[in-house]
Amino acid sequence: MEMHPLWMLVDPYIIWFYRLTGYAFADFLLGTFVLAWIALLVGEFTISMVFLVSKQRIDASTEESRHYQDLSAEALSAGDKEAYRAANKLANDAFGKSFFMQIALSAAFLWPVFVALAWMNQRFAELEFPLIFTDYALGCVGVFIVLYVAAYLIFKKIKYKLPYFRWIKTILDSYQSGPVEAKSFTDGLPAVRKDEKR
Amino acid sequence: MTKKYWIIVGLVAAVAVITTLMLASPAAAGKLEEAIAKTPQGVGKGMIDSKAAPGFMGIPGAPSPFWLFGILWGIWVGWIFSTVGAFGGIMAGVGHITVFGLADYGRSFKDTSPVLNKLLTDSIRTSNQYLVGLSAFISSLTYYRMGRLVLPLGLCLAGGGIAGAYLIPVLTAGKINLSQYIGFFGIIVLVIGCFLFYETTEAGQKSKKAAKAAAAAFESEHIKRAAGEVTEHGAAGVQVTHWGASKISFTFYGVEFSFAPIWPILGGFVIAAISAFIGVGGGFLYVPFLTSIAGLPMYVVAGTSAMAVLVSMITSIFTFMFIKGTPIDFLFIGVELVGIFIGSILGPYTSKYIPDRWLKRIFVVLAVYVGVGYTTKGFLGYSIFPGM
Repeated sequence: MEMHPLWMLVDPYIIWFYRLTGYAFADFLLGTFVLAWIALLVGEFTISMVFLVSKQRIDASTEESRHYQDLSAEALSAGDKEAYRAANKLANDAFGKSFFMQIALSAAFLWPVFVALAWMNQRFAELEFPLIFTDYALGCVGVFIVLYVAAYLIFKKIKYKLPYFRWIKTILDSYQSGPVEAKSFTDGLPAVRKDEKR
Repeated sequence: MTKKYWIIVGLVAAVAVITTLMLASPAAAGKLEEAIAKTPQGVGKGMIDSKAAPGFMGIPGAPSPFWLFGILWGIWVGWIFSTVGAFGGIMAGVGHITVFGLADYGRSFKDTSPVLNKLLTDSIRTSNQYLVGLSAFISSLTYYRMGRLVLPLGLCLAGGGIAGAYLIPVLTAGKINLSQYIGFFGIIVLVIGCFLFYETTEAGQKSKKAAKAAAAAFESEHIKRAAGEVTEHGAAGVQVTHWGASKISFTFYGVEFSFAPIWPILGGFVIAAISAFIGVGGGFLYVPFLTSIAGLPMYVVAGTSAMAVLVSMITSIFTFMFIKGTPIDFLFIGVELVGIFIGSILGPYTSKYIPDRWLKRIFVVLAVYVGVGYTTKGFLGYSIFPGM
């Protein structure tokens, strides 16, 4: 199948990582792991940018939902069923708004994954790794997903040791009103108050 | 979020994957190539010209939307998500079906190559699900991290969700042709349009005003805490008091809530089935189901429904992608995602100039146009509105 012009441009660079050891299987795993890291880092970078730009809007959107959720709990503990139902309804409406905003913002984290998968599909679509004791085989997409999750778990541990992400965290910590936990996967999304973490 | 919760979610997800593997048959390798090979070759309608430039999914002669159009449509979808909500998912589908010409292209193979026609249907709805559902999954994690989980409720929802998200792809992948898919898509759009319309009516506005008044009255009377002070609520307020096949009870701030497990199982099944069929995330249905129908506190609903979205998304995408071997144009989805996050940044900045009520009314008109257009196109064979 003819190669997409975008791949003509980046393919020589990415494929370099697939030729490091000379052993086909090891090269495939190593190259895919590097690709997973690139996708992860680019995603983390773009969502951190989106977060910086939209932080105030995101906060305003989630604050309303949080306010009515708190209120419904207060009403419940005070035994006021009518106020509970009213606050619950308003919390539901506000949650809908912030939820959909977050759905859209999550795209900033995910897009590099799909670009990486598209390149892999172009290069390794025919590749299959049979799963022992089953009739199934893991394709290149499956291998990428497994290695991407591994890369994510490692990155989670070292994220704030990297100067850029430490800098982002400092900025976010400095201008928000309340204490915020900002870490991992959904960093670009409304953060959770420390008092809410269990 | 404690390790215990992650272990439970991990186990449920593993069960979803194992169940899918055990019940399904292996994917046919190279499905797309096989379907192309079986399609008559030539330049006429319903044929594939092997000399033509590769388009969508690399099919020779298929529509090949310019990447910038993917970004622009993504911006539109992202803007709607951040201003109107659920309608963004619908618009993602409209993009694949109409704007990028995939439906008309797929329909041309209805008689000449039914396999390719159905493969394109599956690809369109899986693309929708990747675009919307996967992002819903990511955002659900935020709510899930809050740790407000009623575990038995989450398990019931997830159980029903696994069944729905597994059965629909298995039963319908490769069987639903594009016309049927477009018809059902149109009906769902009309239903969402009706909800949007209700929210803009006097009755819809009145109930919201009444709720606001009741909440404000309670707040001024009972809540006297200092500005900025944070009240501690959360999972500690949830105590499961009874587990049973016919009834599960929990208390939240001393008030008892109970539900029959069959209802969340059934609700989870129906929501996951609709989501998998149309190709959406389902997150927008779980929360109203739990708060409005089941009457549960919003405080615990967000995290609980997040668990259900997580599990049903894993099952559904896994089934479509690995078991049924549905081909996907990943690059185009990646390009659309870039547009979606740009649109979601722009949305809040621009929507303040348009009153919420009028914004919804505009989308009601759009919903009627798209809904009626797709329903007639799907079931009558032609759209009564132009451009569909």
